[in-house]
Amino acid sequence: MSNVSRPRAIRLVAQREVMERGRSKGYVLSLAFTVVLMLVGFILPAMLVNQQSTLHLALVGATPEGLEASLVATSGSLGVALDLSSVPDRAAAETAVRAGDLDAALIVPVDLSSAGQLIVLEDAGGALQAVVNQAVIGLRAGPAASEAPVVNALKPPTAESTTAIIFANAGIILMFIGIFSYGSWVLTGVVEEKQSRVVEVVLSTVRPRDLLMGKVLGIGLLALAQLVVLVAVGIGFATATGRVVLPPTTLGAVVQLLTWFILGFALYSTAMGFLGSLASRTEEASTASMPVTLTATTAYILSIVVVTQDPSGLLAHIMTFFPPAAPMVVPLRVALDAIEPWEIVVSIGLMLAAIWALFVVGARVYSGAVLQTGSRMRLRDAWRARS
Amino acid sequence: MLEIRGLTKRYGAVTALDDATFTAHRGRLVGFLGPNGAGKTTAMRCVFGLAAPDAGDVRWDGTVVDARARLQFGYMPEQRGLYPRMRVADQLSYFGQHHGLSGREARARGMAWLERFGLTDRARSKLEDLSHGNQQRVQLATALVHDPELLVLDEPFSGLDPIGIATMAEVLRERARAGVGVVFSSHQLDLVEEVCEDVVIISRGHVVAEGGIDELKARSGRRHLDVEVMGTGGGWLDGQNHLTVLERDGDRVRLLVDDTVALDALLAAARAAGEVRRFSYEPPKLSELFMEAVTAEQPIRREGAA
Repeated sequence: MSNVSRPRAIRLVAQREVMERGRSKGYVLSLAFTVVLMLVGFILPAMLVNQQSTLHLALVGATPEGLEASLVATSGSLGVALDLSSVPDRAAAETAVRAGDLDAALIVPVDLSSAGQLIVLEDAGGALQAVVNQAVIGLRAGPAASEAPVVNALKPPTAESTTAIIFANAGIILMFIGIFSYGSWVLTGVVEEKQSRVVEVVLSTVRPRDLLMGKVLGIGLLALAQLVVLVAVGIGFATATGRVVLPPTTLGAVVQLLTWFILGFALYSTAMGFLGSLASRTEEASTASMPVTLTATTAYILSIVVVTQDPSGLLAHIMTFFPPAAPMVVPLRVALDAIEPWEIVVSIGLMLAAIWALFVVGARVYSGAVLQTGSRMRLRDAWRARS
Repeated sequence: MLEIRGLTKRYGAVTALDDATFTAHRGRLVGFLGPNGAGKTTAMRCVFGLAAPDAGDVRWDGTVVDARARLQFGYMPEQRGLYPRMRVADQLSYFGQHHGLSGREARARGMAWLERFGLTDRARSKLEDLSHGNQQRVQLATALVHDPELLVLDEPFSGLDPIGIATMAEVLRERARAGVGVVFSSHQLDLVEEVCEDVVIISRGHVVAEGGIDELKARSGRRHLDVEVMGTGGGWLDGQNHLTVLERDGDRVRLLVDDTVALDALLAAARAAGEVRRFSYEPPKLSELFMEAVTAEQPIRREGAA
């Protein structure tokens, strides 16, 4: 009979978690529920807001033949209400846009030599850009046809109001919820194994650290799958309808979000797993994991309140290098463009070191505590009871 | 061959194992006996690396047991445990793979054991939906699925009905005949006497008796006498020295006799009292050997005084 290598043992444990939990009603339902929640909470409002308001667009000066007809046709096919007018020159257009009488003004050369300019106040909404781009591109047949009018914002958006921030904030909320709902699976999973005594059978062949690692890995994969589905559905929905325009930093933001989700989950669920081993019944699990919950909540509130206001401040810098806070602080500072690349690298390094340390310490506490029955154990006793 | 040598394990002020030494041979059923708290479970946990001994070691076929060697062992802990909501067949396959079987092999062997226990139709059921007895069978199948060279079972018979006991005993005998080492703990001494060849008796962390059951009986200096003298109610025993009355049931008495007592003198005394229906010498029962071994170790000690 062959030897069971440690990676294989970890894989077997992870695989069991994925198979048993992945096909459970709870997982499938929570996946469906969060997708619906996201559609209702983020995507639909964005669509409805754009849909209900009438777009006030003016054409500036002389315009190419057919532009007006093309705009009307495009807005009709996209279901956008369009109120089309004309202004004599650029100065008049800017005045009207600043005054709020117009949403935007469009300048296109009569000879269609370029795609022209779109004058807006802060930024062009998704519906506006969709209508204008499609109309202008459709009119300008030829090699340069895919070029869209240049957006010219009269009042360039400040950092706080960019979509990137909204994405980062939404990402942090998702991350916080994800870490906690799946972290609590690790927690209750550990307690259930202890309570049902199956852990004694498992540990007769599997090392405690490998069992903990496999569990975190398996449940982490399920959590990651849910996050990927959410992000994919969101982005897919947005681009398919063409109503929500994604900022160019979307890909980077998604990569940041996933990276920090993985790191944050590994850190927090390991902590929850080993503290869970101190509980003897599922009812005690939440008490046992209280220190983790408090730390995470504090880090979350501080990043929302303090770091958003002052992303380059002292506290923001400190929290960047404090592993429990880093998963929330770093993506936020990245979105606000207030972080140096080396800080990200160092922060990730510290995070990995903290996760490893937690596995080593956690596994010792875990192996000391998980075979003890009776009342809840204290951390110090579990550390000493290591067998 | 499983060798436990000088095993000592302390939990704080409590000494669970105190220089325990014994051997369990392949192909023989070994009953591992002792009062509650004697150290049986701790010893078993040491075999599986679930408790690290403070001194001594555990050897299998002459080599100190490590994680790799343990893959060839099968374990059934006293407090049963499997995943309640996991399907029976998946469960067996999972533990089989942890012992080094491929996925396919583990599934096939698991199914073979389920068939053996008449549980084929429950393969896809969740464990928690099975009856207590069937859950116990699945637990045994879990210990057997990888065809281990050594089986260590903590109280495998407890909670089983007579049919379950018969199946369990049959499987254990069969494994032993196949050359597997089988060690199990039990408080059902009559059952152990019937099933086992060897016993190890542990008391207060120390091994107090070890060997073949027949050999231990023969070695015991005490003799048991069953005597029935009609119409005496056992009154003829008054004035007899060097014997202890173990049981008294009407005219029938069961005696423990020192080997210094001359049996023919005793028979003469019985005859003088009345009609002797029975006068039979019997080897001690295992339960008597057990009591003797355990009480010799801790003479007249009140419960909980430790």
